[in-house]
Amino acid sequence: MRPDDRSYLPSHEWASIDGDIVTVGITDFAVSQLGELVYLDLPDTGRAVSRGQAFGEVESVKAVSDLNCPVDGEVVEVNAGLPDDLSALQDDPLNGGWLIKVKVAGADALEGLLDAAAYEEVVAAES
Amino acid sequence: MASLFRFMASPDTLLRTSLHAAHAAAGAKLVPFAGWEMPLDYGSILGESRAVREGSGVFDVSHMARFRFRGPQAAAELDHALGGAILDQPVGKARYTMILAEDGGILDDLITYRTGDEEIFMVVNAANRERDWGLLTARLRETEAEDLTLDGGGILALQGPDAPRVLAALAGVEQVPGFLDLAWLPSSHGELFVAGTGYTGEKGYEIFATAAQMVPVWEALMAAGVAPVGLGARDVLRLEAALPLYGHEIHEGVTPFEAGLRFAVKGWKTREFIGGEALRALPEPGRELVGLTADKRVPREGYPVLCGGEQVGVVCSGVWSATLEKPIATAYLKKGIDGPLAVDVRGKELPVERVPLPFVPHRSRD
Repeated sequence: MRPDDRSYLPSHEWASIDGDIVTVGITDFAVSQLGELVYLDLPDTGRAVSRGQAFGEVESVKAVSDLNCPVDGEVVEVNAGLPDDLSALQDDPLNGGWLIKVKVAGADALEGLLDAAAYEEVVAAES
Repeated sequence: MASLFRFMASPDTLLRTSLHAAHAAAGAKLVPFAGWEMPLDYGSILGESRAVREGSGVFDVSHMARFRFRGPQAAAELDHALGGAILDQPVGKARYTMILAEDGGILDDLITYRTGDEEIFMVVNAANRERDWGLLTARLRETEAEDLTLDGGGILALQGPDAPRVLAALAGVEQVPGFLDLAWLPSSHGELFVAGTGYTGEKGYEIFATAAQMVPVWEALMAAGVAPVGLGARDVLRLEAALPLYGHEIHEGVTPFEAGLRFAVKGWKTREFIGGEALRALPEPGRELVGLTADKRVPREGYPVLCGGEQVGVVCSGVWSATLEKPIATAYLKKGIDGPLAVDVRGKELPVERVPLPFVPHRSRD
């Protein structure tokens, strides 16, 4: 099972909260489905994002895909080195390959997302 | 992340080649493709592409449809039914041609293998098998036609600079078939029907294995160090070599001339064949198939090609080239366009450069 210290979207993004900052990434399952990554587009800091809306794109040898934001808020940090060196996203998407940090309004920002067990069912259905 | 790779289509309804278990054992990601469950990759599309350019790889392409035509009129009737000449195709040679509509549009591309005076073997695209069968049998009169696709046999495409050495060792022969030559080679697995054909631009062969030969020949190739290669790398390699793919560079809406495939309609000026009258009446094409390269992002199928903000073309196929280590694409472009080109990637303009085709030179005839 994937880490239960965070929440998930059915479209394979994860979100973990620390105070009013939510770190967002994509799961290892997403990366395995995409295959070899070739391009990543991340937003600028300061940009407003909202749940379910695209905040960037990731492209692999096989396909291009939107990155959907799990939370509402403002982008306060991006993993700036990642677009030029995708190896952390390819090899460690749940940790070093995080994508953006979003400042959110409150501690309930992750409510309504999937927990690890529910996300595992999504993965099982698509495997 | 959208769920682009939801390859869920109920596996029990999909056809499987005789190598299904071997693919699974080799770590293949198996996906539905034209009604078959086929290997997309064995872990790395780019790695498999490089294996074929640098050494040798083998593709199971047993999903492709195999037809056999027999009878004294087989060559004459196929010469009329197909876009390219068959009557003058020598016994022992393969030839690339197509099925045309009455209006000259391309219904499919295919290879004919002249296996005898009165026998022609044919391989067509898997997705078009039923339509092609209907079209061809309707266009033939006296010729006996057989669809062999589901007989348990199949096609193993052995490709790459090491392919001649591997085939010679497999068959225990010194002389291997040349480009477009057919051969019946002795081997410890029985006689192997082999053609000097492929879809990568490299030297290579298509081995037409019987049901009994499929697994032993595959295992012998694995033991010889040949890399298993999936359909993902096949698409990369064929696009690097600018070999057309049905549904992309060619389809009912384009003519052989626009696609740069005049050689596939050999004798079009004088022969009597279905689509010939339309081809002879065509005006000079207003668009042409061109090559594009880009930085970082892949121009993908359907993306508009822009010049000065105006759409001047559309992308047919795009991949990340393992050999050139950058994105490559084919596109239909209006003739006479002069100026910097861009591709509309989901609303953003990506600069692209027009380059000659093929992207990677062919070595299949060397």
